[in-house]
Amino acid sequence: MSEQTSNTATSPTRRRGEVIVLVVLVAAFAVANYFVLTRKAEDGSRLELDRNMVGIIIAAGLTLIMYSFLYRDNPLFKVAENLYVGVAMGYEAILVWRQALRPQVVDPLFRPVSWHAFWYELAWRTVPIVLGLLLLTRLSKKHGWMSRYSYALFIGWAAGLAIFTETDSKILTQLQATLAPLQQGISDGPWFTHIVMPILGTIALLAGTVTVLFYFFFSVKHERSAGAISRVGIWFLMVAFGAMFGYTVMGRLALLIDRLDFLMADWLKISG
Amino acid sequence: MNPKPINWKAGATRHVIYALIAIAVIVPLLKKWPSSFTATPGPRRVYNFIEKLEPGSHVLLAFDYSPDSKAELYPMSVSLLDHCFRKGLIPIAMTHWPQGVGMARRAFDEVAAKHDKVAGEDYAVLGFKPGYVNLIINMGENLKSAFPEDLDGRSTETMPALEGVETLRDIDLAVDLAAGATVDAWVMYGSDRYDFPLVAAPTAVATPRCYPFVQSKQLVGLLGGLRGAADYEQILNVPGKATELMPAQTVTHLLLIVLILGANVRFIVRKLRGTEDA
Repeated sequence: MSEQTSNTATSPTRRRGEVIVLVVLVAAFAVANYFVLTRKAEDGSRLELDRNMVGIIIAAGLTLIMYSFLYRDNPLFKVAENLYVGVAMGYEAILVWRQALRPQVVDPLFRPVSWHAFWYELAWRTVPIVLGLLLLTRLSKKHGWMSRYSYALFIGWAAGLAIFTETDSKILTQLQATLAPLQQGISDGPWFTHIVMPILGTIALLAGTVTVLFYFFFSVKHERSAGAISRVGIWFLMVAFGAMFGYTVMGRLALLIDRLDFLMADWLKISG
Repeated sequence: MNPKPINWKAGATRHVIYALIAIAVIVPLLKKWPSSFTATPGPRRVYNFIEKLEPGSHVLLAFDYSPDSKAELYPMSVSLLDHCFRKGLIPIAMTHWPQGVGMARRAFDEVAAKHDKVAGEDYAVLGFKPGYVNLIINMGENLKSAFPEDLDGRSTETMPALEGVETLRDIDLAVDLAAGATVDAWVMYGSDRYDFPLVAAPTAVATPRCYPFVQSKQLVGLLGGLRGAADYEQILNVPGKATELMPAQTVTHLLLIVLILGANVRFIVRKLRGTEDA
Protein backbone atom coordinates (compact mmCIF):
# COMPACT_ATOMS: atom_id res chain seq x y z
CA MET A 1 0.00 0.00 0.00
CA SER A 2 2.83 2.36 0.93
CA GLU A 3 4.45 1.54 -2.44
CA GLN A 4 1.28 2.54 -4.27
CA THR A 5 1.04 5.70 -2.19
CA SER A 6 4.60 6.63 -3.06
CA ASN A 7 3.81 6.04 -6.73
CA THR A 8 0.72 8.20 -6.85
CA ALA A 9 1.94 11.08 -4.70
CA THR A 10 3.86 13.32 -7.09
CA SER A 11 4.69 16.95 -6.62
CA PRO A 12 4.96 19.33 -9.65
CA THR A 13 8.74 19.55 -9.09
CA ARG A 14 9.10 15.79 -9.16
CA ARG A 15 6.91 15.53 -12.25
CA ARG A 16 9.05 18.11 -14.03
CA GLY A 17 12.16 16.14 -13.08
CA GLU A 18 10.62 12.97 -14.47
CA VAL A 19 9.79 14.66 -17.78
CA ILE A 20 13.41 15.80 -18.08
CA VAL A 21 14.65 12.25 -17.32
CA LEU A 22 12.24 10.89 -19.96
CA VAL A 23 13.52 13.32 -22.61
CA VAL A 24 17.12 12.38 -21.73
CA LEU A 25 16.30 8.65 -22.01
CA VAL A 26 14.61 9.10 -25.41
CA ALA A 27 17.64 11.05 -26.60
CA ALA A 28 19.94 8.30 -25.25
CA PHE A 29 17.90 5.69 -27.15
CA ALA A 30 18.24 7.71 -30.38
CA VAL A 31 21.99 8.15 -29.84
CA ALA A 32 22.40 4.41 -29.12
CA ASN A 33 20.62 3.60 -32.39
CA TYR A 34 22.83 6.08 -34.26
CA PHE A 35 25.98 4.40 -32.92
CA VAL A 36 24.66 0.89 -33.66
CA LEU A 37 23.93 1.85 -37.26
CA THR A 38 27.12 3.82 -37.92
CA ARG A 39 29.60 1.57 -36.10
CA LYS A 40 31.88 -0.43 -38.38
CA ALA A 41 32.02 -4.21 -38.02
CA GLU A 42 35.35 -6.11 -37.95
CA ASP A 43 35.21 -6.53 -41.75
CA GLY A 44 34.70 -2.79 -42.22
CA SER A 45 31.01 -3.08 -43.18
CA ARG A 46 28.17 -1.15 -41.56
CA LEU A 47 24.74 -2.38 -40.53
CA GLU A 48 21.96 -1.66 -42.97
CA LEU A 49 18.69 -0.22 -41.79
CA ASP A 50 16.71 -3.06 -43.39
CA ARG A 51 13.35 -4.53 -42.32
CA ASN A 52 15.00 -6.82 -39.79
CA MET A 53 16.96 -4.01 -38.13
CA VAL A 54 13.88 -1.75 -37.97
CA GLY A 55 12.04 -4.62 -36.22
CA ILE A 56 14.91 -5.02 -33.73
CA ILE A 57 14.96 -1.27 -32.95
CA ILE A 58 11.18 -1.22 -32.39
CA ALA A 59 11.41 -4.34 -30.19
CA ALA A 60 14.28 -2.81 -28.20
CA GLY A 61 12.33 0.42 -27.68
CA LEU A 62 9.23 -1.45 -26.56
CA THR A 63 11.30 -3.64 -24.19
CA LEU A 64 12.78 -0.56 -22.52
CA ILE A 65 9.34 1.04 -22.28
CA MET A 66 7.94 -2.10 -20.61
CA TYR A 67 10.80 -2.10 -18.10
CA SER A 68 10.06 1.54 -17.27
CA PHE A 69 7.24 0.10 -15.15
CA LEU A 70 9.90 -0.94 -12.65
CA TYR A 71 10.16 2.76 -11.79
CA ARG A 72 6.42 3.36 -11.89
CA ASP A 73 3.36 3.28 -14.15
CA ASN A 74 3.59 5.83 -16.96
CA PRO A 75 1.84 6.78 -20.24
CA LEU A 76 4.50 5.18 -22.46
CA PHE A 77 4.04 1.88 -20.63
CA LYS A 78 0.27 2.13 -21.15
CA VAL A 79 0.78 2.74 -24.90
CA ALA A 80 3.09 -0.28 -25.22
CA GLU A 81 0.75 -2.46 -23.17
CA ASN A 82 -2.28 -1.58 -25.31
CA LEU A 83 -0.26 -1.99 -28.49
CA TYR A 84 0.64 -5.53 -27.42
CA VAL A 85 -2.98 -6.43 -26.64
CA GLY A 86 -4.17 -4.94 -29.94
CA VAL A 87 -1.56 -6.70 -32.06
CA ALA A 88 -2.16 -10.03 -30.29
CA MET A 89 -5.94 -9.76 -30.74
CA GLY A 90 -5.63 -8.87 -34.43
CA TYR A 91 -3.22 -11.74 -35.02
CA GLU A 92 -5.49 -14.20 -33.23
CA ALA A 93 -8.58 -13.02 -35.14
CA ILE A 94 -6.82 -13.60 -38.47
CA LEU A 95 -5.62 -17.05 -37.37
CA VAL A 96 -9.07 -18.13 -36.18
CA TRP A 97 -10.48 -17.06 -39.54
CA ARG A 98 -7.73 -18.71 -41.60
CA GLN A 99 -7.41 -21.94 -39.64
CA ALA A 100 -10.86 -22.57 -38.21
CA LEU A 101 -13.74 -20.59 -39.70
CA ARG A 102 -12.69 -20.53 -43.36
CA PRO A 103 -11.64 -24.20 -43.82
CA GLN A 104 -14.33 -25.69 -41.57
CA VAL A 105 -17.36 -23.45 -42.03
CA VAL A 106 -17.09 -21.07 -44.97
CA ASP A 107 -15.33 -23.16 -47.64
CA PRO A 108 -17.40 -26.37 -47.21
CA LEU A 109 -20.70 -24.45 -47.37
CA PHE A 110 -19.97 -21.61 -49.77
CA ARG A 111 -17.45 -23.30 -52.06
CA PRO A 112 -18.61 -26.94 -52.19
CA VAL A 113 -17.27 -29.25 -54.92
CA SER A 114 -20.81 -30.53 -55.68
CA TRP A 115 -24.41 -30.29 -54.45
CA HIS A 116 -24.02 -33.70 -52.84
CA ALA A 117 -20.96 -32.43 -50.93
CA PHE A 118 -22.87 -29.31 -49.90
CA TRP A 119 -25.77 -31.28 -48.35
CA TYR A 120 -23.34 -33.68 -46.67
CA GLU A 121 -21.28 -30.85 -45.12
CA LEU A 122 -24.43 -28.96 -44.12
CA ALA A 123 -25.84 -32.01 -42.34
CA TRP A 124 -22.67 -32.37 -40.25
CA ARG A 125 -22.27 -28.68 -39.50
CA THR A 126 -25.81 -27.41 -38.91
CA VAL A 127 -25.98 -28.18 -35.16
CA PRO A 128 -22.50 -26.80 -34.28
CA ILE A 129 -23.11 -23.67 -36.38
CA VAL A 130 -26.51 -23.05 -34.75
CA LEU A 131 -25.02 -23.57 -31.27
CA GLY A 132 -22.21 -21.14 -32.13
CA LEU A 133 -24.63 -18.55 -33.46
CA LEU A 134 -26.77 -18.88 -30.33
CA LEU A 135 -23.73 -17.78 -28.29
CA LEU A 136 -23.76 -14.50 -30.21
CA THR A 137 -27.26 -13.73 -28.90
CA ARG A 138 -25.48 -12.70 -25.66
CA LEU A 139 -24.93 -9.39 -27.43
CA SER A 140 -28.69 -8.71 -27.22
CA LYS A 141 -30.49 -8.13 -23.90
CA LYS A 142 -33.76 -9.33 -25.38
CA HIS A 143 -32.50 -12.55 -26.98
CA GLY A 144 -29.57 -13.32 -24.68
CA TRP A 145 -31.45 -16.18 -22.99
CA MET A 146 -31.07 -18.26 -26.14
CA SER A 147 -27.32 -18.63 -25.50
CA ARG A 148 -28.12 -20.68 -22.38
CA TYR A 149 -28.89 -23.73 -24.54
CA SER A 150 -25.36 -23.69 -25.96
CA TYR A 151 -23.80 -23.15 -22.54
CA ALA A 152 -25.91 -25.91 -21.00
CA LEU A 153 -24.74 -28.36 -23.63
CA PHE A 154 -21.07 -27.37 -23.29
CA ILE A 155 -21.10 -27.50 -19.49
CA GLY A 156 -22.95 -30.80 -19.39
CA TRP A 157 -20.60 -32.35 -21.92
CA ALA A 158 -17.44 -31.02 -20.25
CA ALA A 159 -18.55 -32.04 -16.75
CA GLY A 160 -19.47 -35.54 -17.87
CA LEU A 161 -16.14 -35.98 -19.60
CA ALA A 162 -14.10 -34.48 -16.76
CA ILE A 163 -15.63 -36.64 -14.01
CA PHE A 164 -14.38 -39.85 -15.53
CA THR A 165 -11.09 -38.49 -16.90
CA GLU A 166 -10.04 -36.55 -13.80
CA THR A 167 -10.83 -39.51 -11.54
CA ASP A 168 -8.87 -41.90 -13.69
CA SER A 169 -5.81 -39.76 -14.53
CA LYS A 170 -5.43 -37.60 -11.45
CA ILE A 171 -6.71 -39.79 -8.62
CA LEU A 172 -6.56 -43.50 -9.40
CA THR A 173 -3.32 -43.46 -11.40
CA GLN A 174 -1.65 -41.11 -8.90
CA LEU A 175 -2.80 -43.24 -5.98
CA GLN A 176 -1.41 -46.33 -7.67
CA ALA A 177 1.98 -44.59 -8.12
CA THR A 178 2.00 -43.47 -4.48
CA LEU A 179 1.40 -46.99 -3.23
CA ALA A 180 4.18 -48.50 -5.35
CA PRO A 181 6.36 -51.09 -3.57
CA LEU A 182 9.40 -49.76 -1.71
CA GLN A 183 11.84 -51.47 -4.04
CA GLN A 184 10.44 -49.61 -7.08
CA GLY A 185 13.08 -47.42 -8.65
CA ILE A 186 16.01 -49.50 -7.37
CA SER A 187 18.51 -50.12 -10.12
CA ASP A 188 22.08 -51.29 -10.61
CA GLY A 189 24.65 -48.75 -9.46
CA PRO A 190 26.17 -47.18 -6.34
CA TRP A 191 24.21 -48.38 -3.27
CA PHE A 192 23.45 -44.92 -1.88
CA THR A 193 22.08 -43.28 -5.03
CA HIS A 194 20.51 -46.40 -6.57
CA ILE A 195 19.19 -48.26 -3.50
CA VAL A 196 18.94 -46.00 -0.42
CA MET A 197 17.70 -42.86 -2.19
CA PRO A 198 14.85 -44.55 -4.15
CA ILE A 199 13.61 -46.27 -0.95
CA LEU A 200 13.79 -42.99 1.01
CA GLY A 201 12.02 -41.24 -1.88
CA THR A 202 9.14 -43.72 -1.82
CA ILE A 203 8.80 -43.43 1.96
CA ALA A 204 8.83 -39.60 1.77
CA LEU A 205 6.19 -39.67 -0.98
CA LEU A 206 3.92 -41.93 1.06
CA ALA A 207 4.45 -39.94 4.27
CA GLY A 208 3.84 -36.65 2.46
CA THR A 209 0.62 -37.86 0.83
CA VAL A 210 -0.81 -39.27 4.08
CA THR A 211 0.13 -36.32 6.32
CA VAL A 212 -1.04 -33.64 3.85
CA LEU A 213 -4.34 -35.49 3.36
CA PHE A 214 -4.63 -35.66 7.15
CA TYR A 215 -4.05 -31.89 7.41
CA PHE A 216 -7.11 -31.32 5.20
CA PHE A 217 -9.18 -33.82 7.23
CA PHE A 218 -11.25 -31.50 9.41
CA SER A 219 -13.63 -34.01 11.04
CA VAL A 220 -11.08 -34.67 13.81
CA LYS A 221 -9.72 -32.00 16.12
CA HIS A 222 -5.99 -31.54 15.38
CA GLU A 223 -4.68 -32.24 18.89
CA ARG A 224 -2.00 -34.56 20.32
CA SER A 225 -1.03 -37.26 17.77
CA ALA A 226 -3.51 -35.89 15.20
CA GLY A 227 -1.98 -32.44 15.64
CA ALA A 228 1.54 -33.82 15.23
CA ILE A 229 0.63 -35.62 12.00
CA SER A 230 -1.06 -32.53 10.54
CA ARG A 231 1.98 -30.43 11.53
CA VAL A 232 4.18 -32.78 9.50
CA GLY A 233 1.68 -32.28 6.66
CA ILE A 234 2.16 -28.49 6.94
CA TRP A 235 5.93 -28.99 6.64
CA PHE A 236 5.47 -31.03 3.46
CA LEU A 237 3.15 -28.31 2.10
CA MET A 238 5.72 -25.61 2.91
CA VAL A 239 8.45 -27.53 1.10
CA ALA A 240 6.16 -27.92 -1.93
CA PHE A 241 5.29 -24.20 -1.92
CA GLY A 242 8.99 -23.36 -1.62
CA ALA A 243 9.81 -25.56 -4.62
CA MET A 244 7.02 -23.93 -6.63
CA PHE A 245 8.20 -20.44 -5.67
CA GLY A 246 11.79 -21.36 -6.58
CA TYR A 247 10.68 -22.56 -10.02
CA THR A 248 8.61 -19.39 -10.51
CA VAL A 249 11.60 -17.17 -9.69
CA MET A 250 13.74 -19.27 -12.04
CA GLY A 251 11.21 -18.82 -14.85
CA ARG A 252 10.84 -15.07 -14.38
CA LEU A 253 14.61 -14.59 -14.25
CA ALA A 254 14.99 -16.58 -17.47
CA LEU A 255 12.65 -14.09 -19.17
CA LEU A 256 14.68 -11.15 -17.85
CA ILE A 257 17.95 -12.75 -18.93
CA ASP A 258 16.58 -13.38 -22.43
CA ARG A 259 15.40 -9.78 -22.81
CA LEU A 260 18.71 -8.31 -21.63
CA ASP A 261 20.54 -10.73 -23.93
CA PHE A 262 18.35 -9.47 -26.80
CA LEU A 263 19.18 -5.85 -25.97
CA MET A 264 22.91 -6.51 -25.75
CA ALA A 265 23.38 -9.07 -28.54
CA ASP A 266 20.72 -8.31 -31.15
CA TRP A 267 20.31 -4.55 -30.68
CA LEU A 268 23.53 -3.07 -29.30
CA LYS A 269 25.72 -5.90 -30.66
CA ILE A 270 28.02 -5.79 -27.63
CA SER A 271 27.74 -9.48 -26.66
CA GLY A 272 26.70 -12.83 -28.12
CA MET B 1 -5.71 17.21 1.30
CA ASN B 2 -1.95 16.87 1.60
CA PRO B 3 -0.39 13.95 -0.26
CA LYS B 4 1.00 11.20 1.97
CA PRO B 5 4.79 11.27 2.39
CA ILE B 6 6.80 9.18 -0.03
CA ASN B 7 8.36 6.02 1.42
CA TRP B 8 11.83 6.63 -0.04
CA LYS B 9 13.48 3.87 2.02
CA ALA B 10 11.22 1.08 0.74
CA GLY B 11 11.48 2.39 -2.84
CA ALA B 12 15.25 2.67 -2.63
CA THR B 13 15.65 -0.93 -1.36
CA ARG B 14 13.50 -2.18 -4.23
CA HIS B 15 15.49 -0.23 -6.82
CA VAL B 16 18.82 -1.38 -5.35
CA ILE B 17 17.67 -5.00 -5.72
CA TYR B 18 16.64 -4.33 -9.35
CA ALA B 19 20.06 -2.79 -10.02
CA LEU B 20 21.89 -5.74 -8.41
CA ILE B 21 19.90 -8.25 -10.48
CA ALA B 22 20.57 -6.26 -13.66
CA ILE B 23 24.30 -6.31 -12.91
CA ALA B 24 24.15 -10.05 -12.12
CA VAL B 25 22.64 -10.66 -15.57
CA ILE B 26 24.66 -8.19 -17.64
CA VAL B 27 28.17 -9.04 -16.37
CA PRO B 28 28.06 -12.81 -17.22
CA LEU B 29 26.53 -12.01 -20.62
CA LEU B 30 29.20 -9.41 -21.41
CA LYS B 31 32.09 -11.50 -20.11
CA LYS B 32 30.76 -14.64 -21.83
CA TRP B 33 31.53 -16.87 -18.86
CA PRO B 34 31.68 -20.56 -19.80
CA SER B 35 28.89 -22.95 -18.74
CA SER B 36 29.74 -26.05 -16.76
CA PHE B 37 27.00 -28.37 -15.55
CA THR B 38 25.90 -32.01 -15.67
CA ALA B 39 22.64 -32.90 -17.42
CA THR B 40 19.82 -34.00 -15.10
CA PRO B 41 18.09 -37.42 -15.52
CA GLY B 42 14.79 -36.04 -16.94
CA PRO B 43 16.22 -34.68 -20.21
CA ARG B 44 18.45 -37.75 -20.54
CA ARG B 45 15.36 -40.00 -20.41
CA VAL B 46 13.77 -37.94 -23.20
CA TYR B 47 16.95 -38.17 -25.27
CA ASN B 48 17.18 -41.96 -24.78
CA PHE B 49 13.54 -42.42 -25.76
CA ILE B 50 13.96 -40.43 -28.99
CA GLU B 51 17.20 -42.29 -29.76
CA LYS B 52 15.28 -45.59 -29.65
CA LEU B 53 12.67 -44.46 -32.22
CA GLU B 54 12.99 -45.87 -35.73
CA PRO B 55 13.66 -43.45 -38.63
CA GLY B 56 10.31 -42.39 -40.12
CA SER B 57 8.57 -42.41 -36.73
CA HIS B 58 6.17 -39.53 -36.13
CA VAL B 59 6.83 -37.06 -33.30
CA LEU B 60 4.05 -34.61 -32.48
CA LEU B 61 5.28 -31.26 -31.13
CA ALA B 62 2.63 -29.09 -29.49
CA PHE B 63 3.91 -25.49 -29.51
CA ASP B 64 1.61 -24.42 -26.67
CA TYR B 65 3.38 -21.16 -25.90
CA SER B 66 3.58 -17.57 -27.02
CA PRO B 67 6.56 -15.22 -27.50
CA ASP B 68 6.56 -14.25 -23.82
CA SER B 69 7.81 -17.77 -22.99
CA LYS B 70 10.25 -17.87 -25.89
CA ALA B 71 13.26 -17.54 -23.58
CA GLU B 72 12.73 -20.99 -22.09
CA LEU B 73 10.78 -22.93 -24.70
CA TYR B 74 12.25 -21.80 -28.02
CA PRO B 75 15.72 -23.29 -27.30
CA MET B 76 13.95 -26.57 -26.36
CA SER B 77 11.95 -26.51 -29.60
CA VAL B 78 15.12 -26.02 -31.64
CA SER B 79 17.02 -28.80 -29.82
CA LEU B 80 14.15 -31.28 -30.10
CA LEU B 81 13.64 -30.52 -33.79
CA ASP B 82 17.35 -30.84 -34.42
CA HIS B 83 17.36 -34.24 -32.71
CA CYS B 84 14.30 -35.39 -34.70
CA PHE B 85 15.78 -34.38 -38.06
CA ARG B 86 19.16 -35.92 -37.21
CA LYS B 87 17.42 -39.23 -36.44
CA GLY B 88 15.27 -39.10 -39.59
CA LEU B 89 12.04 -38.73 -37.59
CA ILE B 90 9.01 -36.84 -38.91
CA PRO B 91 7.99 -33.94 -36.67
CA ILE B 92 4.36 -32.78 -36.77
CA ALA B 93 3.66 -29.39 -35.22
CA MET B 94 0.38 -28.00 -33.91
CA THR B 95 -0.62 -25.55 -31.22
CA HIS B 96 -3.48 -24.66 -28.90
CA TRP B 97 -2.13 -21.11 -28.64
CA PRO B 98 -2.64 -18.77 -31.62
CA GLN B 99 0.74 -17.14 -31.05
CA GLY B 100 2.38 -20.57 -31.01
CA VAL B 101 2.02 -20.61 -34.80
CA GLY B 102 4.74 -17.99 -35.19
CA MET B 103 6.99 -19.85 -32.75
CA ALA B 104 6.55 -23.13 -34.66
CA ARG B 105 7.09 -21.48 -38.04
CA ARG B 106 10.28 -19.80 -36.86
CA ALA B 107 11.72 -22.97 -35.28
CA PHE B 108 11.02 -25.06 -38.39
CA ASP B 109 12.40 -22.38 -40.74
CA GLU B 110 15.60 -22.32 -38.70
CA VAL B 111 16.17 -26.06 -38.20
CA ALA B 112 14.62 -27.60 -41.34
CA ALA B 113 16.79 -25.40 -43.58
CA LYS B 114 19.89 -26.67 -41.76
CA HIS B 115 18.92 -30.30 -42.50
CA ASP B 116 17.49 -29.68 -46.02
CA LYS B 117 14.04 -30.89 -44.99
CA VAL B 118 10.94 -30.12 -47.02
CA ALA B 119 7.57 -29.08 -45.58
CA GLY B 120 4.82 -31.61 -46.23
CA GLU B 121 7.31 -34.38 -47.01
CA ASP B 122 9.75 -34.48 -44.09
CA TYR B 123 7.63 -32.57 -41.60
CA ALA B 124 4.19 -31.02 -41.19
CA VAL B 125 3.21 -27.75 -39.54
CA LEU B 126 -0.53 -28.08 -38.93
CA GLY B 127 -0.92 -24.76 -37.13
CA PHE B 128 -3.51 -23.55 -34.66
CA LYS B 129 -7.05 -24.69 -33.97
CA PRO B 130 -9.31 -23.51 -31.13
CA GLY B 131 -10.99 -26.09 -28.91
CA TYR B 132 -8.35 -27.12 -26.37
CA VAL B 133 -9.63 -30.43 -24.88
CA ASN B 134 -12.08 -30.89 -27.77
CA LEU B 135 -9.20 -30.52 -30.22
CA ILE B 136 -7.17 -33.24 -28.47
CA ILE B 137 -10.16 -35.58 -28.56
CA ASN B 138 -10.80 -34.68 -32.20
CA MET B 139 -7.17 -35.50 -33.02
CA GLY B 140 -7.48 -38.71 -31.06
CA GLU B 141 -10.43 -39.79 -33.20
CA ASN B 142 -9.33 -38.39 -36.56
CA LEU B 143 -6.26 -36.19 -36.83
CA LYS B 144 -6.83 -35.23 -40.45
CA SER B 145 -10.39 -34.07 -39.82
CA ALA B 146 -9.10 -31.90 -36.97
CA PHE B 147 -6.59 -30.36 -39.38
CA PRO B 148 -7.88 -30.70 -42.98
CA GLU B 149 -5.10 -28.34 -44.12
CA ASP B 150 -1.65 -27.47 -42.87
CA LEU B 151 -0.53 -23.91 -42.18
CA ASP B 152 0.25 -23.29 -45.87
CA GLY B 153 -3.05 -24.70 -47.10
CA ARG B 154 -1.81 -28.16 -48.22
CA SER B 155 -4.36 -30.94 -47.79
CA THR B 156 -3.38 -33.24 -44.92
CA GLU B 157 -5.28 -36.14 -46.55
CA THR B 158 -2.59 -36.63 -49.21
CA MET B 159 0.40 -35.25 -47.34
CA PRO B 160 3.41 -37.66 -47.43
CA ALA B 161 4.58 -36.55 -43.97
CA LEU B 162 1.29 -37.78 -42.46
CA GLU B 163 1.28 -41.15 -44.20
CA GLY B 164 0.24 -43.78 -41.68
CA VAL B 165 -1.05 -41.22 -39.18
CA GLU B 166 -4.82 -41.30 -38.82
CA THR B 167 -5.25 -40.66 -35.09
CA LEU B 168 -3.12 -39.85 -32.04
CA ARG B 169 -2.70 -43.62 -31.53
CA ASP B 170 -0.40 -43.62 -34.57
CA ILE B 171 1.94 -41.04 -33.01
CA ASP B 172 5.21 -42.52 -31.70
CA LEU B 173 5.91 -39.67 -29.29
CA ALA B 174 4.23 -36.39 -28.39
CA VAL B 175 6.02 -33.46 -26.76
CA ASP B 176 4.07 -30.61 -25.18
CA LEU B 177 6.09 -27.39 -25.12
CA ALA B 178 3.86 -25.76 -22.57
CA ALA B 179 3.64 -22.30 -21.06
CA GLY B 180 0.31 -23.02 -19.34
CA ALA B 181 -1.72 -25.95 -18.08
CA THR B 182 -1.89 -27.82 -21.39
CA VAL B 183 0.25 -30.68 -20.03
CA ASP B 184 -2.67 -31.74 -17.78
CA ALA B 185 -5.00 -31.82 -20.80
CA TRP B 186 -2.52 -33.76 -22.93
CA VAL B 187 -2.09 -36.33 -20.14
CA MET B 188 -5.79 -36.72 -19.29
CA TYR B 189 -7.43 -36.40 -22.71
CA GLY B 190 -4.45 -37.42 -24.83
CA SER B 191 -1.91 -40.00 -23.69
CA ASP B 192 -4.08 -41.71 -21.03
CA ARG B 193 -6.98 -41.99 -23.46
CA TYR B 194 -5.25 -42.74 -26.77
CA ASP B 195 -2.19 -44.51 -25.39
CA PHE B 196 0.86 -42.74 -26.82
CA PRO B 197 4.12 -41.75 -25.06
CA LEU B 198 4.15 -38.14 -23.87
CA VAL B 199 6.96 -35.81 -22.84
CA ALA B 200 6.38 -32.49 -21.08
CA ALA B 201 8.61 -29.52 -21.86
CA PRO B 202 7.08 -26.76 -19.73
CA THR B 203 8.33 -23.39 -18.52
CA ALA B 204 9.91 -23.40 -15.06
CA VAL B 205 6.70 -21.96 -13.60
CA ALA B 206 4.65 -24.88 -14.95
CA THR B 207 7.23 -27.57 -14.09
CA PRO B 208 6.26 -28.47 -10.47
CA ARG B 209 2.75 -29.52 -11.49
CA CYS B 210 4.25 -32.00 -13.99
CA TYR B 211 6.34 -33.99 -11.49
CA PRO B 212 3.45 -36.19 -10.26
CA PHE B 213 2.93 -37.36 -13.86
CA VAL B 214 6.59 -38.39 -14.10
CA GLN B 215 6.34 -40.35 -10.84
CA SER B 216 3.22 -42.15 -12.11
CA LYS B 217 4.91 -42.77 -15.49
CA GLN B 218 2.17 -40.87 -17.33
CA LEU B 219 5.06 -38.83 -18.75
CA VAL B 220 8.11 -40.41 -20.37
CA GLY B 221 10.31 -37.49 -19.32
CA LEU B 222 10.40 -33.85 -18.37
CA LEU B 223 12.42 -30.88 -19.66
CA GLY B 224 11.85 -28.06 -17.18
CA GLY B 225 12.57 -24.43 -18.01
CA LEU B 226 15.80 -22.94 -19.27
CA ARG B 227 17.84 -25.52 -17.34
CA GLY B 228 15.99 -28.36 -19.12
CA ALA B 229 16.75 -26.73 -22.46
CA ALA B 230 20.43 -26.31 -21.56
CA ASP B 231 20.59 -29.95 -20.40
CA TYR B 232 19.18 -31.13 -23.72
CA GLU B 233 21.64 -28.98 -25.68
CA GLN B 234 24.48 -30.48 -23.65
CA ILE B 235 23.27 -34.07 -24.20
CA LEU B 236 23.02 -33.38 -27.94
CA ASN B 237 26.45 -31.75 -27.78
CA VAL B 238 25.12 -28.69 -29.60
CA PRO B 239 25.53 -25.70 -27.26
CA GLY B 240 22.87 -23.12 -28.07
CA LYS B 241 21.06 -20.16 -26.58
CA ALA B 242 20.07 -21.97 -23.35
CA THR B 243 23.67 -23.00 -22.61
CA GLU B 244 24.82 -19.44 -23.37
CA LEU B 245 22.36 -17.99 -20.83
CA MET B 246 23.08 -20.47 -18.01
CA PRO B 247 25.96 -18.51 -16.36
CA ALA B 248 23.71 -15.44 -16.03
CA GLN B 249 21.02 -17.60 -14.47
CA THR B 250 23.50 -19.17 -12.04
CA VAL B 251 24.79 -15.77 -10.88
CA THR B 252 21.27 -14.33 -10.42
CA HIS B 253 20.24 -17.42 -8.44
CA LEU B 254 23.29 -17.03 -6.19
CA LEU B 255 22.46 -13.35 -5.71
CA LEU B 256 18.87 -14.18 -4.76
CA ILE B 257 20.03 -16.83 -2.27
CA VAL B 258 22.37 -14.25 -0.68
CA LEU B 259 19.55 -11.66 -0.56
CA ILE B 260 17.09 -14.14 1.00
CA LEU B 261 19.65 -15.28 3.60
CA GLY B 262 20.63 -11.67 4.34
CA ALA B 263 17.00 -10.59 4.81
CA ASN B 264 16.34 -13.55 7.13
CA VAL B 265 19.47 -12.89 9.21
CA ARG B 266 18.46 -9.22 9.49
CA PHE B 267 14.94 -10.27 10.53
CA ILE B 268 16.23 -12.68 13.20
CA VAL B 269 18.74 -10.16 14.59
CA ARG B 270 16.08 -7.42 14.79
CA LYS B 271 13.66 -9.85 16.42
CA LEU B 272 16.23 -10.82 19.03
CA ARG B 273 16.84 -7.14 19.75
CA GLY B 274 13.09 -6.65 20.04
CA THR B 275 12.89 -4.08 17.19
CA GLU B 276 10.87 -6.29 14.78
CA ASP B 277 7.29 -7.47 15.13
CA ALA B 278 6.85 -11.27 15.10
